[in-house]
Parts: sequence; C-alpha cells; structure tokens
Amino acid sequence: MGLPIPNSKLGMWLFLGTEIMFFSAFIGSYIISRNGSPGWPTDPHVTHINVWLGGLNTFVLIVSSYFVVVAHEKMLVSNFKEARKFIAFTLLLGLVFLGIKSVEYAGKFEHEIIPGKIPETPTEAMFATASRLQRVVDRELAAIFPGSPAADRRTELGNRIASAGNETATTDPKDAPPAGKAATVAQLKALSRLNEAASSLENHVRFGLAMSVTPEQLIEYRSSPTPGQFPAITLADVNSFVESLKKDVDLSPILGNFHPAVPILYGNLFASNYFLMTGFHALHVIIGLIMFLVILAMGSKLAFRHAVVVENVGLYWHFVDLVWIFLFPLIYII
Amino acid sequence: MADMAHLHGNTYFRVFLALCGLTVLSVVADLLSLADRRIIVAIVLAVATAKALCVMLYFMHLKFESGWKYVLLAPTIVLALALPLSLLPDVGMHYYPQDTRQSREFARLQADGDSGHHSSEPTNSH
Repeated sequence: MGLPIPNSKLGMWLFLGTEIMFFSAFIGSYIISRNGSPGWPTDPHVTHINVWLGGLNTFVLIVSSYFVVVAHEKMLVSNFKEARKFIAFTLLLGLVFLGIKSVEYAGKFEHEIIPGKIPETPTEAMFATASRLQRVVDRELAAIFPGSPAADRRTELGNRIASAGNETATTDPKDAPPAGKAATVAQLKALSRLNEAASSLENHVRFGLAMSVTPEQLIEYRSSPTPGQFPAITLADVNSFVESLKKDVDLSPILGNFHPAVPILYGNLFASNYFLMTGFHALHVIIGLIMFLVILAMGSKLAFRHAVVVENVGLYWHFVDLVWIFLFPLIYII
Repeated sequence: MADMAHLHGNTYFRVFLALCGLTVLSVVADLLSLADRRIIVAIVLAVATAKALCVMLYFMHLKFESGWKYVLLAPTIVLALALPLSLLPDVGMHYYPQDTRQSREFARLQADGDSGHHSSEPTNSH
C-alpha cells in the first residue's frame, strides 16, 4: 500500500500544505485588518504602489512558471540540454522579478514608507517634516565636520563662518580637524541659515504655532501659554515654509531631494503588511532560484531520474507564482 | 507518470496564454474608473481565482492526481481559514466603538468632506 506518487513529491506537497497555511495567515490578516480600517490608503501617489510594475512582475512570474513546465516536459522526453536551457531562462526571469521588486522597495524607502516611520495625522506629519529637515542639516554638517562629535558641529559651523570673516585668524595645521567636504563661505552661511530655519520650524511645530508667529511671540507663549492667543500651525503652513526654503537659490542644492512628510492614515499598518507579504514572497523567490542553480550545477549529469526533482522544484515555483497571483490584485489593485 | 499523457505542450501553452490574458484583464479592471469599487474588487478577485485554478490544475498537475490531493490539501485549507476567522470579530468588524487616533482622524476627514470645506490640511502636497 502507498500513495501512487514518489516520496519526494509527497514531501513537497506536504511542505506546500504548510506553505498554504503560512501565506494565508499573512494574506488573511491583511484582508481582515484592512477591512477593519476605514480610510485605508489606496491613492498610488501616497502609497507609491505602481500597478504597472506589479503587473509586469505578474507577467514575469507567469512566463517563468510556463518555462518550468516546458523544462519538465523536456526532461520527460530526455532532452536534457533543452531542459537546462528553460531552467536557465526561469532563473533569469526570477532575477528580473527581484530587480523590479528592488526598484519598488527603493521607491518606498526614498519616501520613507517604512513601518513605524509613517506619520498618520497632519500633526504627526508636521513633526516628521521638522525632524527630516533637522536630519538634512545633520547630514550636511557631518560631511563638512566628519571628525567632530555630532553635538559640537553646529558650534563649529558658527566658528568656521566667524573665522572665515576674520582674515588674520590662522589655524595651525597640527590643530586642524580632519578635513571634511570643502565648503565655501557662502555654502557655510547657507547651511547656517538652513539650521536656523529647521530650528524655527521645530519650535513652531512643537508649540503648535503658525510660522508667522515671531520668535519674541514664541518666547512669550512659552512663558505663559494662552490657547488661541496666536494662530495655530497647519500642515499647509509647514509645506509652504518648506517650499519657500526649496525655492531659495542658496538652499536648493541641499534640499533638492527633500520631500515634506505626507500623512498616510493607516500607513504603518499598510507598510507592515506590504513588506511582510512581499518580503516573504521575495524570500521564496530567492530560495527557488537557489534550487534552480543546484539543478543547473549538475550540468551534463542531469539525467532522466532527475525528472522528479525538476517536477518538485517546479511545484514549489508554481506555488510562488500562485501566491503572487493573489498578492498582485490584493496589494496593487484593490 | 502515465497520467502526464493527458497533457502536452499545446495545453500548457494555451493555459499560459489564458494566464496572460487574465492578467491584462485585471490591469484593465483597475484602469476603469468604475463608480463602485466593489465591482472592481469582485472582478480582480474572480480573475485571481481563475488564474490560481489554471496554475494548480494544469501546471501543478492537480487535475490528473488521484484522491490523495483531497486528503492532503483539505485540512490545510481549514486551518488556513482559522486565523483570519479568529481575527474577524475584533479587528475586522469592531464589535465595540472604535476610538484610536486613526479612527478620530478618519472621522475628522469625513466631517471636512461632508461640510464641503476644503481641509486646511492637504493630505498630499505633491
């Protein structure tokens, strides 16, 4: 008695049974949490989900699945050279899939679509923009003063500007800090202005006061906060402040790629689900590619008895395709 | 395997073409700006199910396997449904009034939309 299939194929199917439960846990909890979250982000300009890249990847996986089937057919008729050729094509398509996926991931990272990092309300977005601007200042300062502790760099910037204005000030080469990125006085002054703007933005956001509120009024408010005394800050206020900085000729080279934060309601839950599902799927693609590499490494030793190996790896690969067939509409379209 | 004799290259190629056509169909459904999103959801999920059946029945040969496939796969499907179903009453349906920062923000956005005012807080600046 026994099942009418080879043990290895039974093993693969049992494994795929566990895989069905593994992925349906992720997909199922995604559907449920999404349905329980009115206002879930669907605008592709906000989520940076690109239906064309997703569709292209679906096509890539379908073609690769077809090639595995062809490879298995060639194995059954003992045409091993052709079988190897189609497995190599499948391997290539798997790499194309991962390439497109990494382009998508890079886009998400650039816009900080990262679980736990996404502001979900306008207030959170204002704080996020303020801290992003501070990070730009930190990055520029680190490039110019790489040897100094981060806490001292703002003081050093002031000193460098002051000494540049003073012709007689000379520095002993022995005392000179490690040379960082060369910067002209104009660039240093621009950075100093950006630093002031970033601090001002941070203070206004922290106290919830409009950018039109002067520093003196800010101090007045801090000593005795009276609600309604000064106009409240809005996200539009913050965004137009950032726009005015980006339009500044001296600051635009620094702020070229700067995006103010956009609030995404349920963005963190969305990003967690997105990276969990597509990340585990991509891991499965990588493991499949390793299995194809193992088959290709056999070279001319590939023989008829390996047909069942190709069939089993093929079953796994079709399952990876199957998961993507559901992920594509669920993530990219609905 | 003798049961593979049911299949030959032509069948596989036709299944492949069907899969490509169905993929195009789901992208087209996305591009149609139908008033009711539920129609698009129904279309793309039906298309995905059809594609999944094509892959399982033909590429994975399940159509030609004997009874063991039911014994092996039926329990996994039951267990696969268990987690989503256990999340449903709480996370999916909220049997209690929801009060989170997201639900408050959503209510504010809805109120802004209903009163016809443009929100002073644009949700997308670029």
